[in-house]
Amino acid sequence: MPFMGFRLRLALFFVATLVLVQLLTAGLVYEVTRRAMVTEGERQLTANAAAFVAQMDDISARVASNVEVLSLDYALRSAIAEGDNGTVLSVLRNHGRRVGASRMLLIDSDGRVEVDTDDAGTPMTTFPFPDLIDRAYDQRTAAIVAIDGKASWMVVVPIYAPQPVGLVVVNVPVDDALLTHMQTLSALPRNVELAAELVPGHWTRLASGSRHAGLVESIAAVRHGLPWKPLLTRVKGREYMVLAQRLKQPKDSAPVVAILGYSLDDALRPFRSVVIAWATLLALGLGVGLLGAWLTARSVSRPLEALASAVRRIEAGDYHVSPITIRHDEIGQLAIAFKNMIESVRQREARIRHQAMHDSVTDLPNRLAAEATLDEAIAVEGTTAGALLMIGLTRVPEITKTMGHAICDRLMRDSSQRIQRVASGTYLARTSDAQFMLWAPVCDQPEAVALALRVLDTLNESYQETDLNIDRLPSVGIAITRPGLSRASTLLRHAEVAQFTASGSSSALSFYDAATDPHRPDQLSLMGDLRLALDTDALALHYQPKLNLASGVIDGAEALLRWDHPQRGSVPPEAFIGMAEDSGNIQRVTRWVLASAVAQARQWNELGTPLRVAVNLSAHDLDDLELPEKISRLLAIHRLPASCLVLEVTERAVIGEPDTAIRVLMALAEQGFAIAIDDFGVGQSTFAYLRHLPVTEIKIDQTFVKQLATDANDQIIVQSIVDLGHRLGYRVTAEGVEDQGALDYLTSIGCDHAQGYFISRALPAADLSRFIAATGDSAV
Amino acid sequence: MFKFGWLCTFWLASWCAGPVFAAQLVVQVADAQGHPVSDAVITLASESTPTESSPSPPSRTYYIDQKNETFIPYVQVFRPGDKVIFRNSDTTRHQVYSFSKIRKFEFVLRPGQSSPAMELDSTGIAAVGCNIHDDMVTYLFVSPSADNAISDREGTARFDHLRPGRYTAKIWHPQLHPGRVEPSRVVNIAGSSDSRVLSFTLSLIPNPRDSTDHDHPLY
Repeated sequence: MPFMGFRLRLALFFVATLVLVQLLTAGLVYEVTRRAMVTEGERQLTANAAAFVAQMDDISARVASNVEVLSLDYALRSAIAEGDNGTVLSVLRNHGRRVGASRMLLIDSDGRVEVDTDDAGTPMTTFPFPDLIDRAYDQRTAAIVAIDGKASWMVVVPIYAPQPVGLVVVNVPVDDALLTHMQTLSALPRNVELAAELVPGHWTRLASGSRHAGLVESIAAVRHGLPWKPLLTRVKGREYMVLAQRLKQPKDSAPVVAILGYSLDDALRPFRSVVIAWATLLALGLGVGLLGAWLTARSVSRPLEALASAVRRIEAGDYHVSPITIRHDEIGQLAIAFKNMIESVRQREARIRHQAMHDSVTDLPNRLAAEATLDEAIAVEGTTAGALLMIGLTRVPEITKTMGHAICDRLMRDSSQRIQRVASGTYLARTSDAQFMLWAPVCDQPEAVALALRVLDTLNESYQETDLNIDRLPSVGIAITRPGLSRASTLLRHAEVAQFTASGSSSALSFYDAATDPHRPDQLSLMGDLRLALDTDALALHYQPKLNLASGVIDGAEALLRWDHPQRGSVPPEAFIGMAEDSGNIQRVTRWVLASAVAQARQWNELGTPLRVAVNLSAHDLDDLELPEKISRLLAIHRLPASCLVLEVTERAVIGEPDTAIRVLMALAEQGFAIAIDDFGVGQSTFAYLRHLPVTEIKIDQTFVKQLATDANDQIIVQSIVDLGHRLGYRVTAEGVEDQGALDYLTSIGCDHAQGYFISRALPAADLSRFIAATGDSAV
Repeated sequence: MFKFGWLCTFWLASWCAGPVFAAQLVVQVADAQGHPVSDAVITLASESTPTESSPSPPSRTYYIDQKNETFIPYVQVFRPGDKVIFRNSDTTRHQVYSFSKIRKFEFVLRPGQSSPAMELDSTGIAAVGCNIHDDMVTYLFVSPSADNAISDREGTARFDHLRPGRYTAKIWHPQLHPGRVEPSRVVNIAGSSDSRVLSFTLSLIPNPRDSTDHDHPLY
């Protein structure tokens, strides 16, 4: 569309320019022509006015010379001299007809009329224009006068006999016929009119030529006086140049002027055909111009549109376009530049894409590419089972730290080559610094295991370089695609989880097991729910009684967290404690547990059945230097002695832990709290190590206790622990007592406390109180 | 020649009659443009002494010649009783005529022919033309006064030997504008040796003797 607009704009610009130039030219030509016509009109009018006067003079001269001939007629002379007016009258009449006079007079030198041929008109006793008589002797005398609303010519000729004896006056009418006759004789304008000011200030038309255009009326209406110079005016909607010309007149006559008109329309008429020809040419030129503009615009915009569509295709990722035909103009150059640009963009994009999708060290696809490939593969082969192997080299971070990236890179390259050698027909990618991903499509579980073993075998060979021999410690996690498992990312995660598991196990090979996956997405929401439960006291503490084997009395209890989740039901602590530790929620949990347990201990204290309450601390709790202070404050609030509380920590929490944990434990011990080591015997702790810690109690792990009644080895281990613990000053508690035999045995070897389902499972606080009361009664 | 004769007669008459008067009047005639005007007739009329009282001179005969289609002279002063004879000195005929009140006549003169003497007995002016040649015109001025003078080419007319007294000087010219009053002036001659100059300016119509150019009218 913008290109369409461009073409349209270009064409419109051309055409508009054409039309504008033509119109300007036309306007200019019209104006110039019109001005020339006006100038020509002025010139013609002025010339015509002079010609008109000259023509009038010519006519009057002819009349006068006629009369002069008459004046020499002897008969007339004698008749005049003898006062024979009758003869004079007949001679004058006769002669008047010859010269076209309407009236002839004989007057004497004083202006008295002696003979008048017009007996019908106004009788005249005295000639009304004495200045004409005066002049008549000196020169030929003729003048225009207005008499009785008509214009006429007065020609006055003296009669000599032989001395002046009178004058003959010839009256020739200047009427429409005369003017028309004059026009046919000469090149006078078609518009000639005579006007007289019969009433002062008002001009009346007396006669007009062949065409009556109403010049006098229009000028009289204008009231600006007469146009003594050529004047441009409109007469009845037509344009005229008009000019007034004074005529020879006696003093006493009403003013008479000739009005000459020059019609501009008439003058411009010959140009009308030129205008039509011009307009035709303009239309033709416009058509040709439009066509040309359109063609030119098209020749420019076509390649541009082609370029644009090429760009759109490139935008969509299609680089295989040969955009434009070869041209030798600027657009051709643009096209060539464009082609080069596309080529370099294509190359660059390929490089960038490769970099983005590949690991620079091994040149294998990276995780992103792998995921994409995997997604495709799963989509295509959705129904068939495939195996995803996650191969981890556990020691790589360590190697990087100690020997540097260069060696590590070489090691990874070597590893990738090794894997490729043993795993033909698979897809290999490097998904992280220390991990490879191997995708084997169409692969069932046994085949996957075989493949994994081949990989492990080749990677178990140590990496060798000059003076260098590095074990890779490979582990392989396997995830098998299942129908309905459509996402590569999920599959990858599963394989990773499996690989993580494998890295901890001896076999270095593990399949993904959904049950042991702590990172299932459903776990994530659990933390939110846990925080909510903490806020709303939706958690509960259950207490498992500890039986004093020596006295047979329940004198302690271990507080165990119970969470009755509104949707999931009862959630075991193992399901959320680890996560709470990872997500940093464990301290809140511990705080809540401590507060509840201490409050319960106080309650029991007040009920007269004091119990030592054991609370489990997490390894993370030991990072909190203020923990001892907090606990003692809590006890102070409830006015309980420190001896009421036993704090249980696992071996793992204290072994190899930083100073902070030890300092916290020391502080707790100093304040009189008993500290118990939980799950003793399964970890790597030793008595030698425990000696440095303020421990007061050890709890034997239930794995040694469960078969205690029957297993001789367990009996030996438990007895040894009890003996050794007592000798080192620790109290010893056995967990997981599930039968009478175990209880008896424990009692026989002098173990301090026993705890387990056989005695009682963990109970709500109220139930525990009743249980104690019952056992107490039974014991008593 | 006739003029000279007339002057001689006049001089003899006055010398015989009584005392010799030396008073002089010079009349200067010019047209509107200041050019001297010839052929103007100045007539003096004395208020103190009637002209009748002086003895009338004997009757004379004057010739008006026609030469080169021109009457010569243009203006001739007569006294009542004088006679005029027209003579044709040309080689063409002339048809002499006059419609004037004092004398009407019309006759044809063959070349070399002279007319009979015509007596002009009443005062007045007779314009005489030729019916064949329109440009020919002469004026016969029959003066009631004895004191007449005609201006010469320089426009000067002279009166010698005037008696002291009051005079009315009238001037006439053939080309005086028709319909206008003849100019006149009163002049007082104080003593016998008085010398006066009188100037007249006349407005004249074109000379009818000049042939008119009909093809180029002057408008």
